[in-house]
Amino acid sequence: MDIKFNQIYGEYLRDESRQVGRAESIVFPKTEAEIINSVKEMSRKNIPITSQGARTGLAASAVPYGGHIINLSKMNKVTGARYDEKEDRFFLTVQPGVLLSDLRKYIANKSFVAAEWDKESINALKFMEKGRWFYSTDPTETSASMGGIASCNASGARSYKYGSARDHITGLRLVLADGDVLVLKRGQYLAKDDEFSLITEGGREIKGKLPKYKMPHVKKNTSGYYNKPGMDMIDLFIGSDGTLGIISEIEIELNKTFDVIWGLTIFMPDEDKALDLVRALRHEIKIADINLNINPSAIEFFSHKALKMLRDRQKTSAFSNIQELKDTCHTAVYIEIESDSNELVWAEVEKLGDVINALGGDEEETWVAYNPINLEKLHDFRHACPECVNLEIDQIKKLNAGITKLGTDMSVPDDKLKDVMKMYNEGMEENKLDGVIFGHIGNNHLHVNIIPKDMDEYEKGKELFLIWAEKIAAMGGAVSAEHGVGKLKVPFLKKMYTEEEINEMRKLKKIFDPSQILNRGTIFEYVEGQ
Amino acid sequence: MAGINIIKDKCVGCKACMGACPFGAIEIVGKKAVITEKCTLCGACAESCKFDAIDFKRDERESSDLSQYKGIWVFAEQRYGKLKTVSSELLGKTRELSSLLKTQVTSVLFGHNIEFLAHELIAHGADEVLVMDEEWLNDFNDYIYGEAMTALISEYKPEIVLVGATSKGRSLAPYISSSLKTGLTADCTGLSIDEGGLLVQTRPAFGGNLMAEIICPNNRPQMATVRPKVFKPLEPDYKRRGKITRIHKKPIEGFVKLLKNIDNSEGQSLSDAEIIVSVGRGIGSAGNIRLAKELADVLGGALASSRPLVDMGWMPYSRQVGQTGKTVAPKIYIACGISGAIQHLAGLADIDTIIAINQDPDAPIFKVANYGIVADVKEILPVLIEKIKGRL
Amino acid sequence: MMKIIVCIKQVPGTNEVKTDPETNTIIRENVPAIINPFDTYAIEEAVRIKERTGAFIYGISMGIPSAEDMLKEAVSLGIDKGILMTDRKFAGADTLATAYTLSKGIERIGEFDLIICGRQATDGDTAQVGPSLARTLNIAYATDISKIIEIKDNEIHCLKITDDGYEEILIKLPALITVVKEINMPRLPSIKSMKAARKSKIEIVEFDGIKADEKRTGLKGSPTQVRKVFVPLHEVNTTLIEGTLEEKAGKLSEILLNLRMEVE
Repeated sequence: MDIKFNQIYGEYLRDESRQVGRAESIVFPKTEAEIINSVKEMSRKNIPITSQGARTGLAASAVPYGGHIINLSKMNKVTGARYDEKEDRFFLTVQPGVLLSDLRKYIANKSFVAAEWDKESINALKFMEKGRWFYSTDPTETSASMGGIASCNASGARSYKYGSARDHITGLRLVLADGDVLVLKRGQYLAKDDEFSLITEGGREIKGKLPKYKMPHVKKNTSGYYNKPGMDMIDLFIGSDGTLGIISEIEIELNKTFDVIWGLTIFMPDEDKALDLVRALRHEIKIADINLNINPSAIEFFSHKALKMLRDRQKTSAFSNIQELKDTCHTAVYIEIESDSNELVWAEVEKLGDVINALGGDEEETWVAYNPINLEKLHDFRHACPECVNLEIDQIKKLNAGITKLGTDMSVPDDKLKDVMKMYNEGMEENKLDGVIFGHIGNNHLHVNIIPKDMDEYEKGKELFLIWAEKIAAMGGAVSAEHGVGKLKVPFLKKMYTEEEINEMRKLKKIFDPSQILNRGTIFEYVEGQ
Repeated sequence: MAGINIIKDKCVGCKACMGACPFGAIEIVGKKAVITEKCTLCGACAESCKFDAIDFKRDERESSDLSQYKGIWVFAEQRYGKLKTVSSELLGKTRELSSLLKTQVTSVLFGHNIEFLAHELIAHGADEVLVMDEEWLNDFNDYIYGEAMTALISEYKPEIVLVGATSKGRSLAPYISSSLKTGLTADCTGLSIDEGGLLVQTRPAFGGNLMAEIICPNNRPQMATVRPKVFKPLEPDYKRRGKITRIHKKPIEGFVKLLKNIDNSEGQSLSDAEIIVSVGRGIGSAGNIRLAKELADVLGGALASSRPLVDMGWMPYSRQVGQTGKTVAPKIYIACGISGAIQHLAGLADIDTIIAINQDPDAPIFKVANYGIVADVKEILPVLIEKIKGRL
Repeated sequence: MMKIIVCIKQVPGTNEVKTDPETNTIIRENVPAIINPFDTYAIEEAVRIKERTGAFIYGISMGIPSAEDMLKEAVSLGIDKGILMTDRKFAGADTLATAYTLSKGIERIGEFDLIICGRQATDGDTAQVGPSLARTLNIAYATDISKIIEIKDNEIHCLKITDDGYEEILIKLPALITVVKEINMPRLPSIKSMKAARKSKIEIVEFDGIKADEKRTGLKGSPTQVRKVFVPLHEVNTTLIEGTLEEKAGKLSEILLNLRMEVE
């Protein structure tokens, strides 16, 4: 191992999953041409390549398992804009290294470095002035890169209303394993049933057959390749964890912002009543004959244990800034509502109060935020949950270096919400494990974080996750909803799909990357000769 | 009666007044300017109009005879027999103002067993020092000090009274100005004399996004509190001669009783530090603050912070630099992961060298920095500390 | 039962000021108005006193008619009665005229035990109205209170933040205190409290409703005048230090050590 390389570039061997890999070389291309050069060279020498964005992923996709790293963080420009006047739609073209936080800033200020833009793009900017826009994909980690977001089909809280990254990506440029470039526009290449044909920029036709496996019926899924008869082929590449090509450019669509955004944290006396509230918010059940017309853009959840953890941490200075939790708070649901007028939202919130009361809760046990300052307070409260977990794990890690974060990212169909909650609670109880549950309950997509006290509990937790993966698959759910499979969730994917189905995926990969040099060990274990 | 009116025939709808209005109180409706209820009658728009379309009338005030007010006063704040630096900073500035007004500088000194400080004040620029050295003035007290000051001002009639915008000065000055029913401008960062001899007081407004020039034309004295560290004190000249006047008055009894002083003991004070390492949100976590602390320690500097970290409870308020925190004027200011919002910049006074480390190349802090490094503070600080240690 | 008065100001939700780079003039977009964030701590502290010992809380504001909604918000946060002083004759007030006008509104309420203000308003940042109001009402005051230790019959035992640390003080009642954000964590309204607040009635007080000298309110009563407003310029030549992390750290360490020699 090259000690000097590790000293200088050590940070590029890790990502937020806290796994550490190894590599022999790294490049930081600034243009697509530089990616192509690097890929061609490695391809000739048959050296595996791992591509990276901002390394904020939780599934170790960006952690190299030997070979060469192509780090895209220097490709961080917004390169153009497009406005569809007929449909009043606005699009931006971005390089993969653009950070979400920067993108948000550019959009909010309507300010771009446009010196090298073409005429059409500069023209489009004028139309941007007409309204206020935002990019809806909102993973908690805002230092994530756009390439990473596309690669793992990220989502976030607002995906309840807006869907995941996939739903807002309208174009991709990819550098394939041989250095050829594939340009995809949404609507351009549709599979004919299970057959597809794509033409590269080099003029090569790539033909193939889609696998037979069926994806789960959930709203959030990023477990293996997207696959559906007649699908738009761009969807194959979104969420493919960088295993099919290296993204060199992405076109995203923006949404119009609303004038009014409200946030409400609602405390319910027990978990079952909280789940009923979620179902009422999703219009699955009607409570006390009240016509609730509320359409939240996000529905989030905090388990009893999660609130307890926050309450304990509140006493320490690091989290003293979050809203004070009463001792009586049991389980919480957080929703966000967008609208054009405060009065419209209030009319619904008033009814929501009645629903909460009818469910056995108390409308007094709510926090309502209707201005940006207070909304920020509720966001801080929500973000405190994963931060708290990280803090707990960091403390445990000091005693047991082998322990890393143990968090799930699974989703199930709507009608399985109560079943999956029961599974999580019973699983932890039977194994005497401590853990907190929070996350995107609107899409039945909860993050269960186990807090192991020692190595023994850590191992138990890992086993439990495998059992859950199997049960989730049986419920028709997805083992990874937004983080991607990466390297860490390869065993989970095996619970969701049969060996044969996974081999089908691998066959699909080999159509684009015959020597399997791209992101080895991601989605599939890499076995020589397979 | 004061009032403002748009003369519709003259208004061409050019929007110049909209831009000039600090309160967003002007709208253009049908190509004519309309004054909304947000108007505070400040008159900024009237000056901006090139078409004389804004009819703005200030009230004519019956002004009492202002000519009898003479001289500039500086309130000398001391604690435990030590002068606050802002007092000498004010004296330095006041020398400049007094030469323009051709008048004298007087400093007022309150306390117990503090008379020796009068020489210090003269050395820093006072022509005369009014000393009240009394046991009942031992503890600073808004009411007692305020009553004593008010009585002296009524008797001596200075035209300008300046007070340091320390926590005590900011609390005391409004008592005095309200007692005298005169104007008071808070937290000034600039003072000058205009051609008519009025004190022009410059202060940040809207969180430092704007600067406002404020005058007090018809009332005396003209009063201002001035931020510490914005002016430079003169080199003390202990040979300088001045008059020391001792004053005795009947004791005044207050309504607020000081039970206990609990002084900070957390390292070097920010206002005295020559080197400040300041941390912002970019530091990532509360735990990482120790990196900045370590850098401050190896350089022999003090640790400060931007507001978000104080809001999050990661740093104490006493370490906050900015509009709502402290103004600092070290020789070297190292901003680690601070974006440089205008509110933060408002706390940076006269600094020789600003060094900014931030991951975001567009961070506004780079616009004011002498040296900029685009990097993740969390990653560069450990390397930097090692390098400095290696060379010390 | 204690009578507490909280002074509340409506301020713009942000201090962002956009400027036209060509003309260097101010472009102020319409931003929603909010309760001065410092005042939310004052409201919360009053509500906590009420929860501990029982109290009746008045919220008083001087402002434009639309500040009525803001006072309803204050009701949803726990104050019992909102009073809005609004009149063209109050417009253009500086801190002295504001304190005078508020004092006349407070005289109308009658006897009280404690006035709580936020340490300053985010739009003006003067921190002068609190002390000035106390002076006008001739009552004791203390600024920058970070903790109320105890409220006794005729005095209040507090902790005050100063530049040098803290002071433990006793203040005779009736008194005015201004509070800093360390004092508490303000709660957010609940659906229930918002329902009640929407039904509440805010008392509107105009000039004719108070016994005041017109020469001391509004622009007329304001000794200070804004002569000019301008955008501050911050321009420096920045030397960018480039290279790998190692190189950057190396160069910076040299610069720092050289500068430090000069300082010493």
